Amino acid sequence: MRKTLGFVAAALTVVLGLGGRAVAAEKPRLVIGAVYVGSVNDYGYNRSFHDALAQVARDLPGVKVLEAENVPESAEAERVMEGMIRQGATLLFPTSFGHQEPAFNVAKRHPKVFFEHAGGWMRGPNFGVYFGSTQTAWYPMGVAAGKMTRTKKLGFVIGMPIGFALGNVNAFQMGARSVNPEATTIVVVTGGWSDKAKEAAAANALLDQGVDVVAMHVDSPATIIQTVEARGGMSIGFQSVEANVLAPKGWITGLGFTWAPFFEDVAKDVMAGQFAPGATYRGLGKMVAVAPFGSSVPEDVRREVTAAVDKVKDGFNPFTGPVTDNEGKVQIPAGQSWGGDKMGNFSWYVEGVVGRVK
Amino acid sequence: MTTPLLVGILAGAILSGTSLLYAALGETIGERAGIVNLGLEGILLIGASVGFAVTAATGSAWWGLPAAAAAGAASNLLFGWLVVARRANQLASGLAMMFLGFGVSALVGARWVGAVIVGLPKWRPPLLGTLPWVKSSTLFHYDVLTWLALPVALLLWWVLFRTRWGLRVRAVGESPTATYAAGIDPSALQYQALAAGGALGGVAGAHLSLSLTLTWAEYMTAGRGFIAIALVIFSKWDPLRAVAGALLFGGAEALQLQLQARGVEISPFLLEMSPYVLTLVVLLAWGGSRRLAAPASLGRTFQGVQ
Repeated sequence: MRKTLGFVAAALTVVLGLGGRAVAAEKPRLVIGAVYVGSVNDYGYNRSFHDALAQVARDLPGVKVLEAENVPESAEAERVMEGMIRQGATLLFPTSFGHQEPAFNVAKRHPKVFFEHAGGWMRGPNFGVYFGSTQTAWYPMGVAAGKMTRTKKLGFVIGMPIGFALGNVNAFQMGARSVNPEATTIVVVTGGWSDKAKEAAAANALLDQGVDVVAMHVDSPATIIQTVEARGGMSIGFQSVEANVLAPKGWITGLGFTWAPFFEDVAKDVMAGQFAPGATYRGLGKMVAVAPFGSSVPEDVRREVTAAVDKVKDGFNPFTGPVTDNEGKVQIPAGQSWGGDKMGNFSWYVEGVVGRVK
Repeated sequence: MTTPLLVGILAGAILSGTSLLYAALGETIGERAGIVNLGLEGILLIGASVGFAVTAATGSAWWGLPAAAAAGAASNLLFGWLVVARRANQLASGLAMMFLGFGVSALVGARWVGAVIVGLPKWRPPLLGTLPWVKSSTLFHYDVLTWLALPVALLLWWVLFRTRWGLRVRAVGESPTATYAAGIDPSALQYQALAAGGALGGVAGAHLSLSLTLTWAEYMTAGRGFIAIALVIFSKWDPLRAVAGALLFGGAEALQLQLQARGVEISPFLLEMSPYVLTLVVLLAWGGSRRLAAPASLGRTFQGVQ
C-alpha cells in the first residue's frame, strides 16, 4: 500500500513539473525540527526563528524543516519532538525557555539527535545552548530614542523584572543619556510576557506622563506599538525587525533576532558529522539585528545611531565601570566591566531610570 | 503635558473597566435566572478570538463585533443545554466550558495571530477635547462599546427590574418551582437569559481584541472573566452597582501601572496583586450579607416538579 502511494506521489511530482525538486524530495540530507511556543505570525520571538529556518532551507540544498507551533511547555513538547525524530529529524531547535526540560529528556533518549536550545542553561553531549546578546544592542536604541524625544521622557514596558530585561533597560538608558543628558527612562512592569490588555494600559500610563518614545520587552510588541501609534507617540520595537508595519508614523527602529547564520553553521556541522554543541552567545550584527528606520527619522539621527551600532559591533561595552544605579550606589566599580556572562545578573536600574526592581 | 494621577487612573479605569462591565452584566443576567457560569473566562476568549478573526477576514470590526456576540451567545447556549436540559452540575460544567473556551479560541485565532486590523473607530466629542488634561489623556476618546457601556447597564437594570420579562427571569432565579407553578417554563427563560448574557460576554472579549489591544493572543483575557464573576457578587447582582464595581476594579489595574509610570516607590509585585486583593476584601466585606442578595436558587438544578 505504502509503495503504491509512493509511486502515485512520485508520478504526481513528475506530472506537476516538480521534477527539479524531486532530488531534494528523494531523501533530505538533513531534517531540522523546530518547536515554537506560540504562532509564527506574532511579529515577535517565534517569527524570528521561523524566518531564520526558512532562510536555512533556501540557502542549504537538501535541508528539510519541520515546524510545530503553539507547543505547550509540558510533556506535550516531548511528544512533538519524538514525532519529529520519527520523521527523520536529527537536529532540533526547541525555542522557548520552557521547552528546555522536555527537550533535555528527549535528548537523553536519542543520543544521536542534536539539540540546540534558545536561552536556557542545560548542557549535554548532544545538547547545546545559544542566545542573542541583546543588552549591549539596546545601547544604540537608546541613542535613537534620546535623539528623537522632545519631552526627554522615555518609556520601557517589561513583562517581568528579570535580569536580562533590566540589562536591556539599562543599556537603553545609557545610550539615551549619551546623546541627551537629561533623558530619563520610566519603566512599567506588566507582570506577564503576554498580558495584552495590561500592555495597552501600561503604554497609556507612560504616554499620560508625557513619555513620547516607548520601548518594550514583551513577547509580541504589537499591542504596545499600536497603542503608542494611535496616540501620536513613537516606538522602538523588539523581537522582530518587521514590526514597523504596525506604526507607519511613529516607528523609529528596533531590534530583532537573526538566527540564520548560526543555524546554518550548526546545520553544516551536523551534516559534516563534526558538530559539537556548546554555549553560543552572539550580539549585534550576528544574532541581533537592527530594524529599518521609520520614515520620520531624520538623516543625522540615522547616522548617529548607525555609528553607535558600529561602535557596539566593534566591542564597545556600556557596562564598563564606574556604573551607578538609580539609588546612587556604584554597582560596577571603575576598572571592571560586565561581559556577556553577567547579563542575567542585573538586579538594579542604572542612574536615570525611574523604577524599582523589588 | 503630564496628566494628573486621578485623571490617568480614571481614564485607565474606564478603558480596563469596559470589558469587565460587559462581562459582569452578561453574568448577572444568567445568575439572575439562577445559573452561574464559571466559564465566563472562556466566553470572553471565544468572543475575543472570533471577533478578531472575523474582523481580520472581512476587514471590518462591524462584522467582527456581532460575530463575537453571536459566538458568545452560542457558547452560553451550549452551557445552558448542559445545565438546563442535561441537568449537569453548573460549577463543573462551567469549568469545563472554560477549558473548552481556551481550546476553541486558540483554534479559531491561530490563523490570525499577527494580523493587522483596523479596530473599532474611536470618537471624542469636539467640545470635551478642549477641556484641560483631556486632550493629553485617553479620556472621552472611546469606541462605541465604551460609550454604550453605561447606557447598556441602565437598560439592563430597567429590563431586569421594570419589565415583565425581567420579573420572570428573577422569579426563575429565586424559585423555578414557583415559576413553573405559575405556568411559566423556567428553562425557556433560562435559555433566553443565557443567550443575552453570552452575547454580552462575547462583546466583552471583543472589546479587548478589537479596541484595547488590536491583537489576538492565546489566553489574552488573563483572568478578567474571573474578576467579572467576583464583580457580580460585589455588585449584588445589580447592573448599576456593577458600573461602580467595574470602575473600581478597572481602576485597581490602572492604579498600579499609573503609579509605576509616575515612579512611585512601591514594589511592582505588590502593585500587581492589588486587583486581586481588592477582590478578596470585597468578598469578605460582602460575605455576611450575601444571602440577602443572591438569587435563592442560584446554582441549583431545577429537577422539574412531580
